[in-house]
Amino acid sequence: MSLQKNVLALIILVTFAWLSFMAITYALSFTLFQAIENIDIDAFLGTLRVVIGVTVFVVWVYGLYLLTKIWLYKILLKTP
Amino acid sequence: MFAAEHIVMFLTSFFTTLFFTPLFIKLGFKTGLIGVDVHKDSKPRIPKTGGLVIFLGMLMGLSMYILLQNFSLEILALLVSAFLAFSIGFVEDLKGEINPKVKPLSLLVAGVPILLLQVYYPRPILPFIGTTRLTKIYPILVLASFPIVCNAVNGLDVLNGSVTYTSIAFFTAILIISLMSSNEFALTVSLCMIGVLTAFLLYNKYPSKVFAGNSGSLLIGAVMATTAIVGRLEVVAIIALLPHILNEMHIIFSLRGFKSAKYYNSRPVTVDEKGISASLDPKSPITLVRMLTARVHVREDKVVIALAILSFYSALLAVLTHIFFLR
Repeated sequence: MSLQKNVLALIILVTFAWLSFMAITYALSFTLFQAIENIDIDAFLGTLRVVIGVTVFVVWVYGLYLLTKIWLYKILLKTP
Repeated sequence: MFAAEHIVMFLTSFFTTLFFTPLFIKLGFKTGLIGVDVHKDSKPRIPKTGGLVIFLGMLMGLSMYILLQNFSLEILALLVSAFLAFSIGFVEDLKGEINPKVKPLSLLVAGVPILLLQVYYPRPILPFIGTTRLTKIYPILVLASFPIVCNAVNGLDVLNGSVTYTSIAFFTAILIISLMSSNEFALTVSLCMIGVLTAFLLYNKYPSKVFAGNSGSLLIGAVMATTAIVGRLEVVAIIALLPHILNEMHIIFSLRGFKSAKYYNSRPVTVDEKGISASLDPKSPITLVRMLTARVHVREDKVVIALAILSFYSALLAVLTHIFFLR
């Protein structure tokens, strides 16, 4: 591995983080944000939206960490 | 969209920083406000008075803008928020690191001026959707953004010039976007900060003659957060800060909570005469510098350039997001 290859690998990782961030923002705007901002919403639907929104967000953050871990140990630090 | 007052403000912030930095370097040696450059064999002692001069450069630049243009609550909120974050960092520079669990809580204070002066608009513009209404959750997000951004900027202040290069990338993205969208506040702040940081870079780049210190990095973080909130550029700011945020997030996950990496047994990188290289210890925290130096030995200045490339790439993504998904 050279420094250039490491930079390229990280650029790919940042690109993935960017695309997934856009998708997650879209998902949250229809789940968590909607449930918090609309008081007149049906209680069951509101709770369901909060649960789905929080789950999606937590899975995204932890998934990004796991992906970075894989990136570091299985790609960048892997001995040929 | 550049007016005469913008150019005068840019020149004021640039030359104030350029002129006063050598004086603050001497002040650092005289007062003993110094840190050790751990990535050099000789372990030189470097003044960490950069935060003072960054604040001075920003204050002079924005004061000139107020004199030529007009006073605004937005700029007042920015100055007070930046000063609060700077003060917390300065206490750290003087007395050593604040408890990592207490520090994020203390940085919440930096967001209070934004709420008290009501210079925020709880209608962020999200990709694909457009303007949303977040009146209840937005004030909480305003407060939360300060510890997140300040710590993220602080977390990348690890190599000579790294905080300066990466911050210039962020403000360049904000400058381009504010020019495209005629955003006066964001244009003013980003131009002022580019002036300050470009002059500061001449002293802070490898081999550093001065460090920004915690006061400098927390101040820059507070300015970034305020620009994003007041300038209504929340989403593009997050994207431009992706390397910072990922770095901070991975450190927190690796250390399993808010702990200081400095006192962690296994360091993320090793330093020898051949340069910096990533630690192979699976217990070491995952950081951007560790990832960049995986299986290579590189000189410090080259790692900083790699970090700068990554930050400018994120800045480009932020501009592309603004053009294609937020208009």
